[in-house]
Amino acid sequence: MIELFFSQVLNGLAIGQVYALIALGFSLVFGVSNLINFAQGALFMLGAFFAFSGVTWLGLPLPVAAVGSIALVTVLGIVLEGVALRPLENGPYIAPVLSTLAISIIVDQLAEIIWSPEGQAFPLPFEEVTFFIGGAYITSTDILIFVFGGLAALALTWFLQYSWLGRGVRATAQDRDAAAQLGVRTDNVRRLAFALAGTLGALSGILVALYFKSVFPQMGMPFALKGFAAALLGGLTSIPGAVVGGLSLGIVETLASAYVGEGYRDLVAFSLLLVFLLFRPQGLLGDSRLSALGGSGAASGSMPSTSLLASASSQRAAHRIIEMPAWGFLAAGLVLAALPLITQSSYVLQAVVYGMIFAMLSASVSLISGSLGVLSVGHAAFYGVGAYTVAVMGHTYGLPTEVALPAAVILTALVAVVASLPLYKLSGHTAALGTLAIGQIGFLVFMTWLSVTRGPMGFLNIPAPQFDLLGGLRLSAISHKFWLVALVAAVGLFLVQRLLDSEIGRAWRGIREDRLAAHAAGLPVRRYMLMAFAVSGALAGAAGGLFAYVQSVISPDSFNVHASLLLLTMAVLGGLGNLTGAAAAGFLLTIVPELFRPFAEWRMIVYGVFLLMVLRMRPHGMLGAR
Amino acid sequence: MMSTMQGIHVQGVSRHFDGVKAVDDVSFSLAPGETLALVGPNGAGKSTLIQLISGIERLSGGHIMVDGRRIDRLPPERIARLGIGRSFQTSRVFPALSVWDSVMLGTQARLLRREHGRFLVNPLYELLAGLLPLRGWRKKVEGQEAIVRETLQLFGDRLWPRRHQPAFSLSYANRRRLEIARVLAGQPDYLLLDEPAAGMNPTETGELTRLLLELRRMRPQLGMLVVEHKLSLVRSVADRVIVLNQGKVLAQGDPDHALDHPEVVEAYLGRVRTRPVSSDAHLG
Repeated sequence: MIELFFSQVLNGLAIGQVYALIALGFSLVFGVSNLINFAQGALFMLGAFFAFSGVTWLGLPLPVAAVGSIALVTVLGIVLEGVALRPLENGPYIAPVLSTLAISIIVDQLAEIIWSPEGQAFPLPFEEVTFFIGGAYITSTDILIFVFGGLAALALTWFLQYSWLGRGVRATAQDRDAAAQLGVRTDNVRRLAFALAGTLGALSGILVALYFKSVFPQMGMPFALKGFAAALLGGLTSIPGAVVGGLSLGIVETLASAYVGEGYRDLVAFSLLLVFLLFRPQGLLGDSRLSALGGSGAASGSMPSTSLLASASSQRAAHRIIEMPAWGFLAAGLVLAALPLITQSSYVLQAVVYGMIFAMLSASVSLISGSLGVLSVGHAAFYGVGAYTVAVMGHTYGLPTEVALPAAVILTALVAVVASLPLYKLSGHTAALGTLAIGQIGFLVFMTWLSVTRGPMGFLNIPAPQFDLLGGLRLSAISHKFWLVALVAAVGLFLVQRLLDSEIGRAWRGIREDRLAAHAAGLPVRRYMLMAFAVSGALAGAAGGLFAYVQSVISPDSFNVHASLLLLTMAVLGGLGNLTGAAAAGFLLTIVPELFRPFAEWRMIVYGVFLLMVLRMRPHGMLGAR
Repeated sequence: MMSTMQGIHVQGVSRHFDGVKAVDDVSFSLAPGETLALVGPNGAGKSTLIQLISGIERLSGGHIMVDGRRIDRLPPERIARLGIGRSFQTSRVFPALSVWDSVMLGTQARLLRREHGRFLVNPLYELLAGLLPLRGWRKKVEGQEAIVRETLQLFGDRLWPRRHQPAFSLSYANRRRLEIARVLAGQPDYLLLDEPAAGMNPTETGELTRLLLELRRMRPQLGMLVVEHKLSLVRSVADRVIVLNQGKVLAQGDPDHALDHPEVVEAYLGRVRTRPVSSDAHLG
């Protein structure tokens, strides 16, 4: 028994070492530029694939291919800095974060085109040997990972601690302006941080490829998420923290997988992370001061603000805001309701129905990320709760729509409220990583709670909406479902807009602008946060329920982290906090790509480029952030 | 009995930061209707005291009572709802909100208070009031709007004509005024101002001095605690002065007496002066 335990711990340390490397790259970039680098996963994946291509296409020996790949990705790290961060330096804080996301969307899709979406075997240059230490065992790959990972972490620590350049990095992380005054070339420091993120990313990518003996283009995101989690666990900007966080995460999840079940590996890891944040929001080795929580740029300065839309220059440019009054949503719904009278094409109606559902979802994200100011990267979990509620009630229990749909709304609101509790003490980017964990937990619950959600297979044949109170009225045709969706979307958005225009909306925006001032003005901040999550959850729950009815088939894949990220980009593109913008973006960005279905491969690349361009030209979104 | 309970009572309060005693066993009281100034060199612990009273920093020792109630373990927002309003050393103004909205937020806590009792209205009722025009709620909102109008007009034509502009577009001095306006709109019983005249030119400082005097006349029950370096302002508005140095009370008493105390002059200027300190020239 004890041997198994030790074997698991050793195994966990090996994989934890990989998480630690990713977390280090992440923390470095976060430290010097206050930016969540979503492209970290892309660098990781490219590292693995370049090494793979070096071996299989060019016939290089693995060590040569690995060094070449690391060098190449290091350069790409610098390029990333130039493309994603530099042009947006004085833009809102959120803009460079979204631009790394856009780049990761583009790179991931390109990788699928270049190397095919399928996984491929990674050639191992040596026979794997298993060593036994007493009863515990460890493989040669584990040792390799451990040695290289440990060396890299030590080298980095030495570099930061004792070299001039390393001091420059630390000084820049503490206070960029002061460091610049003293002659530190902070631009170069930032480039260096991105370069090192590339180095560490590529190295960890290659080690993971060795560990699993395969490479696949989608490998970036799951490992990036673990890296984020490890960094958050360690304290975000702490270098030893990232290592300790990575190793602990590795051990915890390996033990969970051994003693709870393989499927629960990630679920246990992310749940523990969230619970841990409840009690120690600053992480294991982090600092509890606000300035250490990534709020430094935003919280100090001549005009303190905690808003994601504030910028490092502290000067804000006024921008035009285009938005409809609340009744505009009712009018828009009414106009759309005429569509089934004009066309019977189920292709068109279906596309518009999804457009309306995504308008609600994007609005729901905009409420949390825009009005309340908590960047949400986990909204797909709420969307999924709504969909699964309708699926379970309609399919498993045969309940009518007048029960199932309101139940989806209320249950999702409750889930959102509970999920938001750990976020209360987190600020800025830390809260964003908290929502990421929430999104992952949601997805993993859908995957693993077999008795209710039926796991990966999900639900087939969810019955069409049926109203027993209206004499068993069934809406099975797409045009009839269309009317239901239009009604719910119009009324839902109308109500949310009313709230945003009320005293509650004002309080939400106040909390976003300056959390501390809101406390000092006597606003019950926690209560307003819970209310925002309840309302946002209700809207997402309604959308999810409608999605289940329209699609009649659901599976966890609709509610993964990519869905959450897509929803966030929609809300940002429309203009954060601007409900009209969010709804319009959700609607149009769902319908337009439908028209380009034949070019499905290139769709996400076009989307990524579009996102980059909007961030560059209209950083406050198409219709302006409110 | 009641009269001794009334007011803010700071009793033996300390605050240590990793061994540094920012505030060291300080005691004083602020009665309703009184204006008390806290002066002292930088690092004397003045701002820390305001942070402690408003609940943003936690005490290392001692306790703080307000109107007979212990407040030093309450979160900042509860303390604010007990009638203690404060401004910050660097103005915190909700940058993207309009001047009007920013000041309206100062009244929100009052809006949420129930007619009787110290609890807040039910959040479901608040949501309903956001969706539907409930008459009772609308009336309360209109009442607060009237207060906001009056408050903004206190500042002459500095804020009122700019009420629809976002706060970030205001000048530095106007942002200070806006913050004070927001605090006043909450109709606090006690007002804590952290260097309200910092960065203001002499004309603006004079204007602020007149505003504070006007406020004392309009709200005779308002207790004010002002942290300020500009002694001209202190001499004009304060009933009483407490001089802090290195976290301890050095002297207290009426402004002329306390500020001219030789030890005070030395602590403040580093040397003994023969003439009383009356101008702000020492601030350079």
